[in-house]
Amino acid sequence: MIRVEDISKIFGADPETALGRLREGGTKAGIQAETGQIVGIDRASFALDPGEVFCIMGLSGSGKSTLIRCINRIIEPTAGRILFMDPELGEQDVTAMDGEQLRRLRTYHMSMVFQHFALFPHRTVHANAVFGLEIQGRDKAERDRVGAQVLEMVGLGAWGKAYPSELSGGMQQRVGLARALATQAKVLLMDEPFSALDPLIKVNMQQELVRIQQELERTILFITHDLDEAMRIGDRIAIMEEGRIVQIGTPEEILVNPRTDYVANFVEHADPTAVITAGTIAVPFSEATFILHEERAGLRYYRRRDDGEDGDIRYCIDADGRFHHVVLGERAVEPGRMDTTAPAATGASVRGRNEEVLRCGPATVLRDVLRARVRSRHPVVVTGEDDRFEGIIDEPALVHAILEKRGQPTTEPPVSGDAREAHA
Amino acid sequence: MTELLDVLRTLFTDPFGLIDLPIRQWITDAIGWIVSNFRGFFRTYVSPPVRGVMELSQWALRTLPPGVMLIAVFVIAWRAASWKVGLFSAVAFAFIGFMGVWDALIVTLSLVITAVLFSVVIGLPLGIISSRSDLFYTIIRPILDIMQTTPPFVYLVPAVMLFSIGNVPGLIATIIFAMPPIIRLTNLGIRQVQTQYIEAALAFGSSPREILWKVQLPLAMPTVMAGLNQTIMLSLSMVVIAAIIGAGGLGLEVYAGLERLNIGQAFVGGIGIVLLAMVLDRITQGLGERGPGGRNGKAD
Repeated sequence: MIRVEDISKIFGADPETALGRLREGGTKAGIQAETGQIVGIDRASFALDPGEVFCIMGLSGSGKSTLIRCINRIIEPTAGRILFMDPELGEQDVTAMDGEQLRRLRTYHMSMVFQHFALFPHRTVHANAVFGLEIQGRDKAERDRVGAQVLEMVGLGAWGKAYPSELSGGMQQRVGLARALATQAKVLLMDEPFSALDPLIKVNMQQELVRIQQELERTILFITHDLDEAMRIGDRIAIMEEGRIVQIGTPEEILVNPRTDYVANFVEHADPTAVITAGTIAVPFSEATFILHEERAGLRYYRRRDDGEDGDIRYCIDADGRFHHVVLGERAVEPGRMDTTAPAATGASVRGRNEEVLRCGPATVLRDVLRARVRSRHPVVVTGEDDRFEGIIDEPALVHAILEKRGQPTTEPPVSGDAREAHA
Repeated sequence: MTELLDVLRTLFTDPFGLIDLPIRQWITDAIGWIVSNFRGFFRTYVSPPVRGVMELSQWALRTLPPGVMLIAVFVIAWRAASWKVGLFSAVAFAFIGFMGVWDALIVTLSLVITAVLFSVVIGLPLGIISSRSDLFYTIIRPILDIMQTTPPFVYLVPAVMLFSIGNVPGLIATIIFAMPPIIRLTNLGIRQVQTQYIEAALAFGSSPREILWKVQLPLAMPTVMAGLNQTIMLSLSMVVIAAIIGAGGLGLEVYAGLERLNIGQAFVGGIGIVLLAMVLDRITQGLGERGPGGRNGKAD
């Protein structure tokens, strides 16, 4: 949808010199001391796929707000290219557009949500929501129809006649979101949209955004300084430090395998339960961890090599490697699929847990596995495509995942192609 | 050697005797040149519109029966500010009428309306241009300083030379004297609009013209209104001074009273001016507070 190639932004009188220093490997601080110029963005590259929520995460001053403004050229990038891909328009070079083309792009194809809402105080909520439609030149009937529709969508159907100052912060940002959605632009640029909100309202708005996104499937570039927020809503995350993108990956990739100390520092305080998946934390099914216990009627029965808490459990696999069933002592048990929607059991004691064996896919998140483990006293079986036996999650594996925010020490976490590019 | 010492001594004792800047002569010549070359132009092209607007507004105010006018004043002040200001305005106007200078009030009011109208029509665009061009504002700023700080009497002489005596030269002098605040505060108001609003307008594809009309001017309105308030006050004070060159109204009452040592007449005119000033001030302040930033007393 959008491809950003080597975008740099230098604030200063002689950007060419500073750019040269950057290419020679100069640091932001060094260039500032040497030339008095400030490096806003240092050769950032990434690509947004259609329908994706792409988060850019970094501390204040890392250049993320500058970067998002370069995408629609509210801030003019010093060097690099931005390409906008659209099935109808084909591939367009945003950085080469003249004023009129740029206005068309902003009017019809990209809209924006701001940190401090930037609602026009002299316009009613409705008039704010339809601002973009006014610029598009839509007639009043259509503006009224679409305006009512988007305000309904963000839950403010009854507030059209109010003024922004009469609304709470959360409600104001809903208007900001409605204004951005109204233009039907496929790309949504969101500059720390929820940072100014109370924590409770913030989570609420994040859920709302995820819900709206499922319905509308826009392509969203989302800026935040909050890693938990990025992990909650981002399909992929880019981490920025000192104007540079230091890592790009899915939330789990970043959590499990932080590339630099800076990223690791962030990750340390992140909540892993919604991000890390069963496939990552499972004790993998391999020679190192399991041994063949017996082979009978074409089925192989394995048990854990280091007989942990569940020494008398056998995992039965057929000749094609498909998971078959579990043997508890003398009893064969067919593991049930986990019900991830069931509320977590509260007050259940260890003794109260049942003999049920549960099974989940590798993409199930840690939170759901924990929820299931509260009920059952046996390890959770992880099976992949075609019922392939991938491993089990026992209690040590869970504790390890929560404390270390990563999989078993023997597991080599996957590294995405993007992250490698970003690092190169 | 002694000659050199003499020169040095004069440098300290009487340095101003060394150079004679004939500014006085230059200005007299310049005004004389303008008068002899452009008098016709000013009288054919500048006079008629000013006179026309003044006469039209005077005719309108005179045609309105005083009772209706009092009600109109009440309604306008009430809508602009509050019912209290409305009541005060109507009572103040009635009081002026009871003092027997209603007709002078009408003349002064029409002069103020005319001067303010021209100040705004010329000043607002100049203020907008100033806000968009630093160069333009750098050039226009000293001119505004001159316009505002030159003692108002000084305007009167060239005004008389160009337009002869009467209401029109008084109005021209008033317009020049009263215009700077609206230019300055329009410029200031637009420049003060927060970047986030400009960014929002830009991000949705607004053209510079759309940004001006949909965002900058509405948000600058409270400040522009403060400028309008100052312009009205300045024009009222100048309209009084302009009585010296034959402008009518309450100012003439004061001037005539002073000339004839009729203290009572002078004070009646003075009280009328004060009351009119208060009414106009409260109304325009009410307009400013009602603006977008002031809605519910809460900005943003």
